[in-house]
Amino acid sequence: MTTTNATLSAQTLLTRELLARRRPGYSLEAPFYLSETILQTDMEHIFGKHWIFVAVEPQVPEAGDYITVDFGTNSILIVRDDDMNIQAFHNVCRHRGSRLCASQQGVVGNIVCPYHQWTYDLTGKLIHAKHMGDDFDPSGLGLKPVHIRNMAGLLFICLAENPPEDFEQMAAEMTPYIAPHQLSQCKVAAQIDIVEDCNWKLTMENNRECYHCMSNHPELTISLYEYGFGYQPNEDNKADLQRFQDIMAANHERWEGMGLPSAEIDTLDDRITGFRTQRLPIDRSGQSQTMNAEVASKKLLADFVDPALGGLSFWTQPNSWHHFMSDHIVSFTVLPISATKTLVRTTWCVHKDAVEGVDYTKENLTAVWNATNDQDRRLVEESQIGISTGAYQPGPYSPFTEGLVEKFCNWYVNRLSVLTR
Amino acid sequence: MPTPFYAPDFAAPVSSPWNSDQDETLRCVHIRQETHDVKTFVLAANGPRNFRYLPGQFLTLELEIGGEKINRCYTLSSTPTRPDLVSITVKRVPGGTVSNWLHDNVRVGMELGAMGPSGEFSCFKSPAKSYLFLSGGSGVTPLMSMARALHDLGSDADIVFVHCARTPADVLFAEELTLMARNMPHFRIALVCEQHTPGSNYAGHLGRLDAARLAHIAPDFMQRDVYTCGPAPFMAAVRGLLAGAGFDMPRYREESFSFETLVADAAHAPVNPEVAVENTEITYKIDLQKMGKSFTCPSDQTVLQASVAAGFRLPSSCSGGACGTCKTKKISGTVEMKHAGGIRQREIDQGWFLPCCSKPTSDIVMDR
Repeated sequence: MTTTNATLSAQTLLTRELLARRRPGYSLEAPFYLSETILQTDMEHIFGKHWIFVAVEPQVPEAGDYITVDFGTNSILIVRDDDMNIQAFHNVCRHRGSRLCASQQGVVGNIVCPYHQWTYDLTGKLIHAKHMGDDFDPSGLGLKPVHIRNMAGLLFICLAENPPEDFEQMAAEMTPYIAPHQLSQCKVAAQIDIVEDCNWKLTMENNRECYHCMSNHPELTISLYEYGFGYQPNEDNKADLQRFQDIMAANHERWEGMGLPSAEIDTLDDRITGFRTQRLPIDRSGQSQTMNAEVASKKLLADFVDPALGGLSFWTQPNSWHHFMSDHIVSFTVLPISATKTLVRTTWCVHKDAVEGVDYTKENLTAVWNATNDQDRRLVEESQIGISTGAYQPGPYSPFTEGLVEKFCNWYVNRLSVLTR
Repeated sequence: MPTPFYAPDFAAPVSSPWNSDQDETLRCVHIRQETHDVKTFVLAANGPRNFRYLPGQFLTLELEIGGEKINRCYTLSSTPTRPDLVSITVKRVPGGTVSNWLHDNVRVGMELGAMGPSGEFSCFKSPAKSYLFLSGGSGVTPLMSMARALHDLGSDADIVFVHCARTPADVLFAEELTLMARNMPHFRIALVCEQHTPGSNYAGHLGRLDAARLAHIAPDFMQRDVYTCGPAPFMAAVRGLLAGAGFDMPRYREESFSFETLVADAAHAPVNPEVAVENTEITYKIDLQKMGKSFTCPSDQTVLQASVAAGFRLPSSCSGGACGTCKTKKISGTVEMKHAGGIRQREIDQGWFLPCCSKPTSDIVMDR
């Protein structure tokens, strides 16, 4: 016990010292990206105590469908029960700890441990354990539940005993934005995992700015206006910036008139469950994030008739971003594997009645983000290598284009400061 | 011979009930030679166990004879009022694979695979004021179990216990029946032997049980609940006799106790052809395609039960359709499945089924 306390305390002291030294407006110090000790702190306090985006509802469309989500040393089982409720459990048998479901997705009747066939129903209750004697009481041996919330089709879990209550506030504000796209009426058309050799925060920080977009993302910037995330005005871009502002104003008015909330909400660093949203115009035809900015799926979502609905962007702390368009939804979840390895899971959803090969092709649907993800992977891995050389010291953020990176870091530092106090 | 006698700790709290799912074997602790061709095998669990069952129920022995797995049901002759042990009483049957094997091979200390107890034949399921127990040969066992239980419980039930045998030398439990009759004010015994044994002091009825003899033994038999166990022709004769007398047949219950004895005795007993077709079970053929094996499954058994009886060990755990461990692709055939959540409708639609909770309604080919 003494050793553990000493270790914990060293970890806490290190974290506290680094947090206290953090200079606002500057990137984080190297140990935040390199240290396994800091990663343990991240897993305990950031991924252990906040709402984590892990999946979309169409991943478990029918009763008995399950997925598993692994991050850090956690394995979480998400399953739709017979009453069509979505449940989440630790994917660990109460007998001798075997992982219950090894696959990333599948179908179960009940949840059966492959080791000794202890069987749990889909509410987590232990309903069968052979050879345990007549005095055996299964009532205290149900699966350990994990908090889960379904926000208009986006599934968030929280490992904390008492999850942050302001999730409900986010849900109240965000549901009107997301619900019109009817994610629950979609199917997963593609899901691709990539592993980036970098700390998860580099992945997130890279996502929170478009400073790098024009030079690195030729495919993405076909449809994406780089101005949507902040830009330093100058004489050369003055006209373009003004044009973007005009397009935004006109489109917001049009979309709001169609019942699609579009205005920016930004609580990225002033709430425990921080988030930001804004419906952004799409360049050219204004339809979708594809190689020609036109819809990837001819079967539009929900009851949409107008394909030019721009892209509703939704960013959550600490680990996700999403783009809701008229024809498809693309969601990203970032899950740490270790201090220097990070899983980025991208999920593309289309209307459940859209027919592959007829209404859409997987290749066209995924082209932009496959290219962009690969480019981003290279960028963050180069950052990780540079930071690891030892020559790195925190550099200043652009006040124009890196405001959201600063908010990510600010949220992270504030949350850890409160929780490790 | 080392004695396996196991003395329970009578000062300890009541031991846990015997559970054949957990205690898969019973150990023979004593063998009694009842007559020249009948032995009682007294069986104990490994460790202190409380045998709970209804008098009249049977055990299923899982035996391996000549490299083949064979299951056979035996009525318990013991009484649950003496809960530390159970016993079966087995008659050697000419040509009988299992009965002869038991007689010739089971020794004290040996372990036997066992399942159960189960069965519906018990006067404890629907108690009455007065009973007529009609037993033929070793069919006495379930009635003996009931009588022993009623005796031990201090019941003053009005019982006429009729035991029919070939000869006085074949009469089972004569002394114990006499003792019970002495202890119970309304317990009467009547022995009916087909033939006399030279030199015996037998003074009971000679001949067969017919209406006149039954009316003589139990003049009020029409008012009694009747429990019958014995060879099929014997039970058929009793049924005919009672039905002919206008007996209220819902109060008649019978149990065929051993398939082997039933067949063997039927071979040299007068068969009533009207009865021969009764109780014909439908059985289906189950093919295990990958193993290239097959077995038969009666329509009232699950595919898993029949596969176990046939000596196959298909993966399984809960036996009740909850865990899905036995989930198997059905290549052809139909079943009636009563699962408990261990399989999804989509899987059923794709041809999967759970053998543990499925009774066949046709021949089946399984992907095993």
